[in-house]
Amino acid sequence: MRGVHIRQSFLGEHTEELFARIRIGVVGLGGGGSHIAQQSAYLGIGRFAFFDPDFIDVPNLNRTVGATRADVIAKTPKVEVAERMVKSANPGAEVWAIQTEWQKDFDSLRACDVVFGCLDGFSQRAQLEESCRRALIPLIDIGMDVHKCDPYSISGQVVVSMPGEPCFRCLGFIRDKDLKEEGRRYGVAGGNPQVVWSNGVLASTAIGVFVQTLAPWCRIRTGSRFIGYDGDAFTLEHDARLKVASQAQCKHFTNIGDLGDPFWKP
Amino acid sequence: MAGDGELRELGQLCNGPKEFAEFDRNYILLPQLRLPDGCTPAAVDALLCLSARDGYPTRLFYAQQIASKNGLNWNAQNVAILQRTWFAYSWNYVASGRPIEVLAQHLRALR
Amino acid sequence: MNVHFKTTVALLEGIVADLRRPHPFAAERAGFIGCKVSRCRTGTLILAHTYISLPDDWYVDDQRFGCVFNSQAMRAAMQFALTNDASMFHAHLHDHSGLPWFSRPDIRESARYVPDFWNVKPMLPHGTLVLSADAAAGLCWYPKAKKPIRISTITAVGCPMRFLGSTF
Repeated sequence: MRGVHIRQSFLGEHTEELFARIRIGVVGLGGGGSHIAQQSAYLGIGRFAFFDPDFIDVPNLNRTVGATRADVIAKTPKVEVAERMVKSANPGAEVWAIQTEWQKDFDSLRACDVVFGCLDGFSQRAQLEESCRRALIPLIDIGMDVHKCDPYSISGQVVVSMPGEPCFRCLGFIRDKDLKEEGRRYGVAGGNPQVVWSNGVLASTAIGVFVQTLAPWCRIRTGSRFIGYDGDAFTLEHDARLKVASQAQCKHFTNIGDLGDPFWKP
Repeated sequence: MAGDGELRELGQLCNGPKEFAEFDRNYILLPQLRLPDGCTPAAVDALLCLSARDGYPTRLFYAQQIASKNGLNWNAQNVAILQRTWFAYSWNYVASGRPIEVLAQHLRALR
Repeated sequence: MNVHFKTTVALLEGIVADLRRPHPFAAERAGFIGCKVSRCRTGTLILAHTYISLPDDWYVDDQRFGCVFNSQAMRAAMQFALTNDASMFHAHLHDHSGLPWFSRPDIRESARYVPDFWNVKPMLPHGTLVLSADAAAGLCWYPKAKKPIRISTITAVGCPMRFLGSTF
């Protein structure tokens, strides 16, 4: 169908073909990941790898884009809901619907050009970043939190880990003390309050960052980013930590041994 | 990093230990580590992490969960390290040191 | 078999800047890129990490060819491969816009020295890249293969991401 993307032609002459060829990975197809899947399909992204072991359940229905009550009854896997949604917007899309933990399918993850991380927990994020760095894949992570404080406060972030540039640790997004605390709680993460509008803001911002990485429409160009979301004041701001970190090279992913598969055989 | 002597000691319990470094952490791969009596399987690939991670000063990861005499809390599942997935039980406060001794401390959980 | 070559934008810019430097007598410069390898669902990933620039006195003055490097250059590249368990890719520049390709001497000479890397790392792929001002092409010799295969995609990761093996 011609003309579908005519309104985004300002992104560049060959962007439609570029988007059709790109493969994005979305790890976690819950509240954040489902928005990512939908928007990228509308953009014209042609290839997808979705990773999530879970099925749609009742508590998901307040925010998982594309999920229905029928999916709860049918126990539809989240990756299949995402696939259905993508194909309704882009019938020609190639979708790998991988209904397992992403760690069980490194080969599919490594085939992605860009990965969106929509996971709970710092340990999962750290592992995903390490795997993406090994394959030189930019990782765009989103997350939101609802904090109990007089009475509540919503916050979130979009953090980009660009190979060759500051990583999550450089940016102070992942800290050893957070991993230690999570380990102390036996790695339990998730099950926290989540709302559709904050997920939507963060996912939309992540998609905008993604497009700017591929087809910049303005002069602002940065790779690694830390964008903080104040969900009470409804503002997005670059975190000051990025300014400090970007003055130095990444301190953590430096060795050649941090690339590739240490056990690769022909 | 472990010395040749330390790797030789580990080699008595597995098939050719090999050192790796990943993102500032040191690991020793222990292919087909022979496990204490009563474990199923009897041997499995294991990964000894001699650096602090996730709140543990050292940790022993296995390529699969082990059935043993003791009920263990396998609180690390499908952990991605060196582009493979690993499992580990909750067994903390084993300080870093001579690798064979660190390994022995971790294997106590299976006895 | 698809081979996907990836580098960071920063490394690529460093390589091109080095290859653009004039040489006292060589018409073209060359260098070597140390890489690691990974499998992916669509083929093999070659992941660039370190660029080895060749000092001026590692070139041989041979007017028949644009660029001839001496045995010191190969020794340095071989040593890097051995020390770092690395795949090695030769790199040179055709400084025009658009998709480059190898000249006949490029292909003939590559077929001679690239497989030499199997003397130190026989189980790894090695190859050669030719860069232009805005694109790139490459050949990869898979372990024990007699003939190279064309590298399917060449990507520079950064902002903006650059897909160098395409016509756009």
